[in-house]
Amino acid sequence: MTAVISADEVTNAPEEGAPSSYTVTDLAEVPTLGGLYARGAAASVVKRPRAGVVLPAVAYRVADVDTADAAARLAAYQDVVGEPSSDVLPAGFLHVLAFPLATAVMVRKDFPLGLLGMVHLRNVARVLFPVRLGDRLEIRAWAENARAHRRGVRVDVVAEARVNGALAYRAVSTYLAKGYAVSGDAGPGTDGGVSRRRDAERPSWTPPLPTARWSLGRSVGPEYGAVSGDRNPIHLSALGAKAFGFPRAIAHGMYTAARALAEVGPARRGDAYEWTAEFHKPVLLPGSVDVAVRYASDAGADVAAGPAGGFVYDGWRTGRTTRHFTGTVTPL
Amino acid sequence: MASSIPTTREAVIIGGNRIPFSRAGKKYVRTSNQDMFTAALEGLVARFGLQGELLGEVVGGAVLKNSRNFNLIRESVLGSSLAPATPAYDLQQACGTGLEAAIAVTNKIKLGQIESAVAGGTDTISDAPIAVGDNLRRALLQASHARSTGDRIKALLPVLGHPKWLAPETPDTGEPRTGLSMGEHQALTTAKWGISREAQDEIALKSHQNLHRAWEEGFFDDLVTPFRGLSRDDNVRGDTSAEKLAKLKPVFGKSLTGDDGAPLPATMTAGNSTPLTDGASAVLFSSRDWAEERDLPVLAKFVDAETAGVDFVHGHEGLLMAPAAAVPRLLTRNGLTLEDIDFFEIHEAFASTVLTTLAAWEDEDYCRDELGLPGAFGKVDRSRLNVNGSSLAAGHPFAATGGRIVATAAKLVHAKAAETGSPARALISVCAAGGLGVTALVESA
Repeated sequence: MTAVISADEVTNAPEEGAPSSYTVTDLAEVPTLGGLYARGAAASVVKRPRAGVVLPAVAYRVADVDTADAAARLAAYQDVVGEPSSDVLPAGFLHVLAFPLATAVMVRKDFPLGLLGMVHLRNVARVLFPVRLGDRLEIRAWAENARAHRRGVRVDVVAEARVNGALAYRAVSTYLAKGYAVSGDAGPGTDGGVSRRRDAERPSWTPPLPTARWSLGRSVGPEYGAVSGDRNPIHLSALGAKAFGFPRAIAHGMYTAARALAEVGPARRGDAYEWTAEFHKPVLLPGSVDVAVRYASDAGADVAAGPAGGFVYDGWRTGRTTRHFTGTVTPL
Repeated sequence: MASSIPTTREAVIIGGNRIPFSRAGKKYVRTSNQDMFTAALEGLVARFGLQGELLGEVVGGAVLKNSRNFNLIRESVLGSSLAPATPAYDLQQACGTGLEAAIAVTNKIKLGQIESAVAGGTDTISDAPIAVGDNLRRALLQASHARSTGDRIKALLPVLGHPKWLAPETPDTGEPRTGLSMGEHQALTTAKWGISREAQDEIALKSHQNLHRAWEEGFFDDLVTPFRGLSRDDNVRGDTSAEKLAKLKPVFGKSLTGDDGAPLPATMTAGNSTPLTDGASAVLFSSRDWAEERDLPVLAKFVDAETAGVDFVHGHEGLLMAPAAAVPRLLTRNGLTLEDIDFFEIHEAFASTVLTTLAAWEDEDYCRDELGLPGAFGKVDRSRLNVNGSSLAAGHPFAATGGRIVATAAKLVHAKAAETGSPARALISVCAAGGLGVTALVESA
């Protein structure tokens, strides 16, 4: 199976804006992640897995983010993920800019899921027109669509960026909180829920021939951590990772997806594009990842290509069939 | 035929000279690209009495260069006994460098811009550049741009905190966009075309046997000048055998999975892949008049050339498959088919590069869908393939390979035409990093 995001995953959400029942709360500026993590970590201790998950009907908004301030950070980001130098912000960099606001939603006292231990399952981002360095952004973020998963609750964290009131970027990041359950659901481990799958039912996966090999050193975690602000200890050191049950530090999933996006490149993804990612087994650092970034038309009939064509990418452990990630980049 | 080719005068091949190719880290340790190219050039000068001669141009290059080698070929000319007024420039097209240099100078000869020229190339693994990492390089550059001692120290301070920045970076054969070595790339193409280990070893065996025989027969006596105590290519093994080659362990393509989920067998070994090599070559070209005025031999005409690139980055095509696209264009433009070619000089980057190229030309679907041909391009008569050996046996000092092949091809068609009394043709095909292919057509003069 090479298909990436099934249609029901993305079309449930409205194409723009938070659900109408949500209230918009303005923040003066994008918060810093360090403080949010401290709050999130502390709150995670209090938040206990339970049934009847209800998300706060609140969207955060920062009305005026000057991207000119991010010039040095953009250059560093481009360097780390392999994007060419450009004043156009790649979708992955917009994700990085909006990420603290999304995190602020997730560390609210009334956000029912603990920040620590949330697993990033998939990400669907759309760039509708290019955002350039110097553009002033309005950024919004909220959580919606809590639903059952085989091992807990899935929730979508949505981030949007507007330039002069026009939606330029929209991303839906789906996280799994293990052990929780949505209201009306019998709870994890039962057979309820429409989109549950058992491991046994997962089709076996055969890696294609690679198009690239990534030799990822230990420094990849701290480097992407520095440009993204996501300094989750599981990415920074083996010690930090061990505390959360990983044998070694793991690469940021979004780093691998951003690098795949960069390997498609600005010339082939165009000004407006959709970029999806689905995360499977984490990449342990250091590690060697075989990657196939292929034309959808070369990847077989089971891959849905957009009308303008597009790319499908896969990453797996070199010499194994351990799948790390998969996704698509499709011009819109 | 050949109406699409404008009429120009001929560019002819007078002869070539190279130094013996030597496996990396052996005879040519502490020998620079400039040393080697100058030696190859001086041998050519001596062979054809060019001392003090003002040539139209000398063009060549090296794939791996030290930063001080920015004007490598001009510096070599200045160190040679050619007239110092002979102009020169460097050119680089990965492994296509030497052949592209020949294309460049023969085009100028054909257009009447110059009368004579030398094209060639050189490469060394033994004296390859070693660079500092980007972090250290940036710190050093920032320090050099600093205006005060304080700023200079400030720029260099981070280096103290990162001793790993001091680790040198050595060049490798990895593709910048994919991180895969050339061998790993070719292993993908080998897998796609299902080329067997036996077929590859057979190509390697032939290459050694043919090159060894050619040396024994004296074919290279007027093509090679001894250098640094070496008088023959030191990679050639006349005594190798299919059994010996079969014993070698695979080195590339060891982690690939087939459609059925089972591991694909790795087939590429050190025996059927070219070794890293040091060496240099040079070829003398001119107008027919220039050669006749000096009573120099005319071996062949450099008729035409074609280059191609392929889309390998996203796996649509194999890295080294561009010659498969270039050759049909070259031959069709000249009104020729594969059957009109007496000698196929297909550079053996890997034995399987030769085999995947031949397989592509025989594949009807591939030729129609990828090359836009009406059907299969044709079959290469294997008895005409690399008859005096190629890179698997001789070695492959990247930019020097084109010159080696052009001189060999010119001598082959000359001898064949003399023997049969009818024109003889050689096709030259060189694959290169970056998905490039450089091909040329040589005909007896």
